Amino acid sequence: MNGPLIVQSDKTLLLEVDHEQADACRRAIAPFAELERAPEHIHTYRLTPLGLWNARAAGHDAEQVVDALVEFSRYPVPHALLVDVAETMARYGRLTLSKHPVHGLVLTTTDRPVLEEILRSKKVVPLVGARIDADTVAVHPSERGQIKQTLLKLGWPAEDLAGYVDGEAHPIELAEDGWALRPYQKQAVEGFWHGGSGVVVLPCGAGKTLVGAGAMAQAKATTLILVTNTVSARQWKHELVKRTSLTEDEIGEYSGTRKEIRPVTIATYQVLTTRRKGVYPHLELFDSRDWGLIVYDEVHLLPAPVFKFTADLQARRRLGLTATLVREDGRESDVFSLIGPKRFDAPWKEIEAQGYIAPADCVEVRVNLTDSERLAYATAEAEEKYRFCATTATKRKVTEALVRKFAGQQILVIGQYIDQLDELGEHLNAPVIKGETPNSQREKLFESFRQGEISVLVVSKVANFSIDLPEATVAIQVSGTFGSRQEEAQRLGRVLRPKADGHQAHFYSVVARDTLDQDFAAHRQRFLAEQGYAYRIVDADDLLTGDLG
Amino acid sequence: MGTGERDQEAHVSEGTTGAGGTGEAGGTTGAAAAEHRGTPTSSPRTLAEALRSRPDASLAALLRARPDLLTPVPNDLTQLATRAGTRASVVRALERLDRFALQTAQALAVAPDPAPYPVLLALLAGDEGDTAVESALPGALAGLREQALVWGSDERLRLVRTARELLAPSPTHPSPTGLGPTVAEATAGMSPGRVQEILRAAQLPATHDPVSAVAALTSLVTDRARMSALLDTAPPEALAVLDRLVWGPPYGEVSADPAPPVRWLRDHGLLLPTSARTVVLPREVALHLRAGRAHRAPEPVAPAVAPAKEYRPQVVDSAAAGQALTALTMVEDLLAEWNEGGPAVLRAGGLSVRDLKRTAAALDTTEQAAAFWLELAYTAGLLASDGEADERYAPTPAYDSWLDLPPAERWSRLAAAWLTATRTPGLVGGQDARARTLAALGPDLDRSPAPEVRHRVLALLARLPEGTAPDPETLLARLHWEHPTRTGPEDLRPKLAQWTLTEAELLGVTGRGALAAHGRELLATGGPSRTSTTTPILGLAAAAALAPHLPEPVDHVLLQADLTAVAPGPLRRPLAATLNVLADIESKGGATVYRFTPASVRRALDAGQAASDLHAFLAAHSTTPVPQPLSYLIDDVARRHGHLRVGAASAYVRCDDDALLDEIVADKRSAGLRLRRLAPTVLAAQADPATLLEGLRAMGYAPAAESAEGDVVITRADTRRTPPRTAPAPVPEGPPLPDETLLGAAVRAIRAGDEAATVVRKEAPHTAPAEPGGLPRTTAAETLATVQAAVMTGSALWIGYVNADGAASQRVIAPVRVEGGFVTAYDHTADEVRTYPLHRITGVAELADDPA
Repeated sequence: MNGPLIVQSDKTLLLEVDHEQADACRRAIAPFAELERAPEHIHTYRLTPLGLWNARAAGHDAEQVVDALVEFSRYPVPHALLVDVAETMARYGRLTLSKHPVHGLVLTTTDRPVLEEILRSKKVVPLVGARIDADTVAVHPSERGQIKQTLLKLGWPAEDLAGYVDGEAHPIELAEDGWALRPYQKQAVEGFWHGGSGVVVLPCGAGKTLVGAGAMAQAKATTLILVTNTVSARQWKHELVKRTSLTEDEIGEYSGTRKEIRPVTIATYQVLTTRRKGVYPHLELFDSRDWGLIVYDEVHLLPAPVFKFTADLQARRRLGLTATLVREDGRESDVFSLIGPKRFDAPWKEIEAQGYIAPADCVEVRVNLTDSERLAYATAEAEEKYRFCATTATKRKVTEALVRKFAGQQILVIGQYIDQLDELGEHLNAPVIKGETPNSQREKLFESFRQGEISVLVVSKVANFSIDLPEATVAIQVSGTFGSRQEEAQRLGRVLRPKADGHQAHFYSVVARDTLDQDFAAHRQRFLAEQGYAYRIVDADDLLTGDLG
Repeated sequence: MGTGERDQEAHVSEGTTGAGGTGEAGGTTGAAAAEHRGTPTSSPRTLAEALRSRPDASLAALLRARPDLLTPVPNDLTQLATRAGTRASVVRALERLDRFALQTAQALAVAPDPAPYPVLLALLAGDEGDTAVESALPGALAGLREQALVWGSDERLRLVRTARELLAPSPTHPSPTGLGPTVAEATAGMSPGRVQEILRAAQLPATHDPVSAVAALTSLVTDRARMSALLDTAPPEALAVLDRLVWGPPYGEVSADPAPPVRWLRDHGLLLPTSARTVVLPREVALHLRAGRAHRAPEPVAPAVAPAKEYRPQVVDSAAAGQALTALTMVEDLLAEWNEGGPAVLRAGGLSVRDLKRTAAALDTTEQAAAFWLELAYTAGLLASDGEADERYAPTPAYDSWLDLPPAERWSRLAAAWLTATRTPGLVGGQDARARTLAALGPDLDRSPAPEVRHRVLALLARLPEGTAPDPETLLARLHWEHPTRTGPEDLRPKLAQWTLTEAELLGVTGRGALAAHGRELLATGGPSRTSTTTPILGLAAAAALAPHLPEPVDHVLLQADLTAVAPGPLRRPLAATLNVLADIESKGGATVYRFTPASVRRALDAGQAASDLHAFLAAHSTTPVPQPLSYLIDDVARRHGHLRVGAASAYVRCDDDALLDEIVADKRSAGLRLRRLAPTVLAAQADPATLLEGLRAMGYAPAAESAEGDVVITRADTRRTPPRTAPAPVPEGPPLPDETLLGAAVRAIRAGDEAATVVRKEAPHTAPAEPGGLPRTTAAETLATVQAAVMTGSALWIGYVNADGAASQRVIAPVRVEGGFVTAYDHTADEVRTYPLHRITGVAELADDPA
């Protein structure tokens, strides 16, 4: 009656972090429950069918799940919930996809009525071939992905044991000179390789690229890497050259600007999903080589058409990398059926405890609009509103005060509106990097920032996506995008690595009070807080007077 | 049970006539025996006499078993016997019988009246005998005797006549035994010539006396040896036909020219015709074929309730306690939802389907479960309609005092109310007899057997070892044995039992299907008493048993930087109430997750809390430091709270001259206008603009009215118009003048009616001496009495009859039986057996001489 876990009727699990059994409990529930929020005292996990099936795929059974819940629960666990867990888990594995020596790809069942039920579904009929015996039915090899998707939707996820093609061999080794894969990264690679295909979930900044590199070194085959954008593609390339035996020439970039197909090819989602006259012209990329491994970066952002292509790639090994399985469009089930079940999940706290990642000190500074700005804001058109509030003059004063406060440290000022940034650069006497800044100039400025020759750098959102962005100890965001706050917060987390000398990183977000700016900031902060980043809110006036005093 | 005294009687006296009426209730005949109470010297001749001979304790047992006999208290035993023989009372008593007692009664109903004990035993146990039946029968018989359904000594067992009528097989009420009428009954309506034919076919000596003919036939079919011999000669197809009829229903349809096997059976009297198209297997023949058994499967022993699963009692208790807590939360959530007034009451009573759906969504449960919680709150008196003109549901004052109780007691109130309630939430969503949907909280949800079934189910659960969950199928089978309901297409009891199991689990009386310790306590103290006055007290023991399993309420929360607060257990009430206002609930269960939003904080401020109060409240109840963003949120919302002020005013006064407004406000005469200074140049008034203008004018000012846009309104006498209207249509007196078509049709109709009334009719055939005035006319009571008498005497009657088309006729009939408002009779006029509704018989008269 005194466990660390509280099982809620809505299938969330509340874990009291400070409880003495909290660690044991976390280990016990992590395989089947998704961590939703990790603020300071109580972590929230959620039980979902996919989570339970993930656990089944990883070899856990319902009894283990029930035992874990009952053992650690502080209050009696609702019986209905336990029954539901057992029933849900029992649905996985009744259907298996496998290779038959004679009939090729077959769907086998251990429970005949289930097979009868799904064969009666109109959606399944076009995907299957002849009935071989009472428990087996042939499946068209081209429909391997389709049928897995369909069966999952019908609530009978199939276990895919049909194996993979080896693909075109290509020697890839990790170049572990002076560094090594961290233990959890090794486990992730092993977990993935053992499972064949699937998703590795690691928190931001935990080195997912290296897990990808490790998987490639295991596969030793030609690899297609799908990433979110060009910047990310270059970061991958950079990392792979640095960390593996691959050379620049062996790695191709397939993006809007370049169309190289090499033994290792990095393609962006954007180019793949470009449509011309109703067709996807870059689809042939998937067939251009006999890929042995396909890596999906940021699975939670995978665009819908890529799922469709992926459905046809079920015979190749697939590795998904992500910080979270939760998708804003709710297509978690497609990730599960097409890329694979979760193969590795590192407890965030453990990685933090090992010192590989650390939260920054996040501060939101609220500034007041002046009276004339308020009137302008109130009368502005809807699409102009954000610009008005985000570029208030007061923000400049606050930024200056902050720069003075952290004088001597490496400071990045990040913003969205060029006018605002130019003005700031002028007042702070700092160089500005924006879209029109040529690459060579960027490189030069970045380099001198890294070297400490410049301590303040003003960057626009283009730099926000740039991988070369040097690490800083202080970031000041004066205006943000209204796109995905989650993505932005992740990038900020990446910029703000803890320094070797133990300096804490600081992230200031300057926000105009009582405006849209504040609403967007609230979303972002909620995400940060749920990721365990502590944050504070201060008034600009306090900051300014405090700075004077 | 006091049945032994009748075993000692030796003297057999048969005082009744063969008229069928045994006169059980005959009070006058029993008068002499009144002094023989307790020491009978002879077998009782009537039920009253039998009752008289019973000791007081036994009479008390009767009244306990059949409480309906007590209202009003009978004057004497004769009246008690009469009442015990009434149809309503007997039906009620029969419905309460368990399976074997009922089977015993059914067997008695097909046995000769009176029947000796061995005959009854043979009917139940069959020719081969059955030890289980032999050992159970005396008990069953004792029970029947106690309930005054059976009386008489073991040598002369008699079923109360009403019970016999209810249980004996008849064409309209087939008996569960599947037996048909006796040979005597089946041949009652038969023409004597037909009886002779059967006698000849059965190779019995011909006799012209119908009584001795029937007797001869009866003696043939009851003689096992002769029957076996006869059946040996039967063609195999005929035996197959018998096989089909032997376990009932005993009636079969035949064509005008039946197949040879059927003809053989009919010719040999093994099948008797009941009408031109149907034949029946006489009871004696069926019993012979069944080896003497009245029932295919006598069930002397109650089926056991099989355990399905066993848990540790602690597991059951804690699971049930968890659910009990959920039940409390559900009821509290429900009523909190309706705190400021619930949904409207339907005109026909109850809650609309839409509101039920909404409630289910709010409680995050199914509609069926939502109906249960609603009914539970209603039954416990926590929820009622407010009785206003615009009727709505709302929590009662009892809800507030209930909330103040400790959780265990709160639960026991609910559980006790549930156990004794006749309200049946399981019916919600179904339809009543008139195909109207039954609404939650609506009328027609009371089912009187509900408390008894609930109690019985729990009692059966309590009989299992602790921590044992029963197999529901066996539980239902057992209940069905105890209460084999015979009537009604929808059998409520199994459903009630099923609902009881579900509801007990929902309420936390059971956990994982097994009765929890507090459930046992509830059962032990809360008998199925009809009086609800004891319910508050009876739950206390259950509350005491439950209390240790309920989590201790906590008085603190954990505040987190993502603006949530987690209460790691049930919160103490005042704390929960404040938090409910201050934050939105995000997740419920053992713990509660609250989220603070600007809106929720504003709600708290609106409720009269100051920011400093909120800070103090959070600091006092948080075990962790209050996160800075949360304090900031509260301050930020408080800063803006009340910045804008909104009020209502009817009119305003504005003037650029502050001094003039000062003057007006200071003037005593302006008090009635209730002016308030909003700004130096604006006054708000509660009086309407016209009054305000007049008032100011009276004070000697010259105000001008202002339109909504601020222009001066020029007032002058306004002309007033209605919206467009049509002129009224003339309303002439009397009906409108008919047109030609209508007139023509009316005349034709009148002519036709007249013709019909005056036409010369064909005379009905007179088969009996016609009395002047045509149809005989008697009162309904006389008709019934005469027909019943005719059944007993077997005499024929002359009746006036109106058929379904309204045509009157006269018929001569020989009534065979009277039941359910119908008389079945051999119709001499038509020469066949027919059934007449009594209400269509205009009158009866006895015949001077027998037409047959």
